[in-house]
Amino acid sequence: MKSILIAFRNLNRQKKRSFLLGGAIAFGIFIIIVIDGFTGSFVQNIGDNFSHLFAGHIFVGGIEKTQSGRQVEIIRDGKVLTDAVAESKIPAKYLTKSSGFRGTLIFQNNSVMQQVVGTDWNDSSYLRDRLVLKAGSFQNMKNPEGLIISDKVAKKLNVQVGDTVLAQLRTATGQANVGEFQIAAISYDPGFFGSIAAYATIQHVNELVNIPPQEYQTLGIFLDSFQQTDPAATKLYDTLAKKVSMFKREPPSSQSQNPMQALMKQAKDESWQGTRYRLFTLNDILNSFHLPQIVAAINTAGLVILLILFVIIMVGITNTFRMIMFERTKEIGTMRALGMQRKNVRNLFLLEALFLSLGGAIAGLVAAAIVMGGLHLIYWGTSTPLFLFLKEGHMTFSLSPLQVIGYIILVALLTLLAAYFPARSAAKLNPAAALGATR
Amino acid sequence: MIRRSRTIALAIFALVAGIPALWADPNFTAMLAKIDELNNFPTDFSAVASIVSEKPGEDPNVIQAQMFRRDRDKKFLILILAPDVQRGQGYLEVDNNLWFYDPQSREFSHSSLKENFQSSDAKNSDFNRTSLAKDYTVTSWKEGTLGVYPVYILDLKGTNDEVTYPYMRLWIRKDLGIVLKSEDYSLSKRLMRSAYYPNYVKVGEQYIPSRMLFIDELDKGNKTQLTLRDPSVAALPDYIFTKPYLERVNR
Repeated sequence: MKSILIAFRNLNRQKKRSFLLGGAIAFGIFIIIVIDGFTGSFVQNIGDNFSHLFAGHIFVGGIEKTQSGRQVEIIRDGKVLTDAVAESKIPAKYLTKSSGFRGTLIFQNNSVMQQVVGTDWNDSSYLRDRLVLKAGSFQNMKNPEGLIISDKVAKKLNVQVGDTVLAQLRTATGQANVGEFQIAAISYDPGFFGSIAAYATIQHVNELVNIPPQEYQTLGIFLDSFQQTDPAATKLYDTLAKKVSMFKREPPSSQSQNPMQALMKQAKDESWQGTRYRLFTLNDILNSFHLPQIVAAINTAGLVILLILFVIIMVGITNTFRMIMFERTKEIGTMRALGMQRKNVRNLFLLEALFLSLGGAIAGLVAAAIVMGGLHLIYWGTSTPLFLFLKEGHMTFSLSPLQVIGYIILVALLTLLAAYFPARSAAKLNPAAALGATR
Repeated sequence: MIRRSRTIALAIFALVAGIPALWADPNFTAMLAKIDELNNFPTDFSAVASIVSEKPGEDPNVIQAQMFRRDRDKKFLILILAPDVQRGQGYLEVDNNLWFYDPQSREFSHSSLKENFQSSDAKNSDFNRTSLAKDYTVTSWKEGTLGVYPVYILDLKGTNDEVTYPYMRLWIRKDLGIVLKSEDYSLSKRLMRSAYYPNYVKVGEQYIPSRMLFIDELDKGNKTQLTLRDPSVAALPDYIFTKPYLERVNR
């Protein structure tokens, strides 16, 4: 107890020095906490935003294989799927039915490749919530030939709301087809993934891809939250597998493959009669964009920054404690002469270092909390390129308590290691020689 | 008198009996089969192709490629020779699969005969054998002229829903039975592409268009000219139609 009080007193004696050393530790903790906090919510926010752009967290698509080996994407009997969703008791908020094609949009002499998703606009509140319109309105989607494109695509085509564009595409069976769309609205471009799709009505897309009006190509299932995706997908898959023929959800056979490619390979390699269904999730899609790897890379970079900072800080701590040792040589000699044991002298130094690291870590955490709170309060809008990384226009941060405790322990251990050698030297001082020291 | 009446009756009978033969439609199925036959080589075939694509406001894009065909086994290979940036890329059709090889990544990826060849207006299938008789049926026809040549103008409809173009119109030269022009229509019956075949060359017993002009009717101003030179029906080694060959020529 006495050692603790002396350690506190010593730190207090040199306020400026303690403040600077603690500040350096606080800065390191601040950086890593903010980076980790951001990446912690990164996947979550992208998942939530993508779930709206892709119209679901879990997707089921039907595939038929023709005699010539062509794959035809179609869901003819949607009831068996919706029944399975109900039976599996997954937390499905609502279901979406969509059809689509990848084709070329042409206007005058400009053309651009684009994925076009056809959906029911009477039941597409998820898109109305997420798409921020720059021009035109959702009302224009009452026109069956209406099309919403992103700002970037509109610029490439040089079109405005009301213009009619041609779409060159393939039907579900691979035949060439051409149709017209009228630009109903232009949405803000949400950055990197902005031109991911244009949105049309399902009836017009079905007509163009030549499938009957009541049929569709993909069933999207919205869940209560993104975290439920994988367990819900497993449940739904098990229920569906009892009712219909399903493609296996297997891990990719090679490192270069992602889950989506693995599913496509199965469809290519295997033969079957009737419709076979494939179930994939938003996580599978995000994996194909290497998002987990991006997050891991950012976290690793954060940790590397922390370690570099702490190597510098450790050198500073070692030098400072060596200096402290010289400053207190007489004091150490006196304490040793009064009967203080060597290990007590060493522990006194180490306790000082421990309090310094804990104080710095707490200050760093407080600073990080203030900065993260401040950043969260700022409304960045939904038209920013950061849109996909934000939650409803706000930056969010997510940290696991275990991770924070881990960082504090790591910092404490590194500080103790830095102070250990000067502490050991101080403990080894000869009391008589120390008492006779000039300083 | 009786003899005269009999002669007149015979003459009328002969005339009436001859009318259906005179007005009967030509055998279009046989005509399409002949086009396929003329275009499909019983032997191996090779040639050098030059593909010049033009888009408004852009410099023409010129590609040179060596093509090899073995129609009897449904195999073909197109190996790009120029420009340097695309050199070594190849399209290989084997076992009913069309592979695209990229020497940069050294990987094969699936392609389709229905895809456009290297962003040109030519389809991969334009380099390949045809199967018009199997894939299409004639829905209407008329006679006409194209340039100085008397032609049959046939409207075709796909016999299945997997042919690239559901509707086509062909201008077929009456004397040789070769296609001089074609128009490709979408499922919505919109004209998508016109193709002209102004020059043919006889290689062995086959006729093959030595110059083709493809005009994009949707993206106006886009056109591609395909010219074949050095055609040959000399036998080709088996290894040409293999993936290792494509990899090897790039080493």
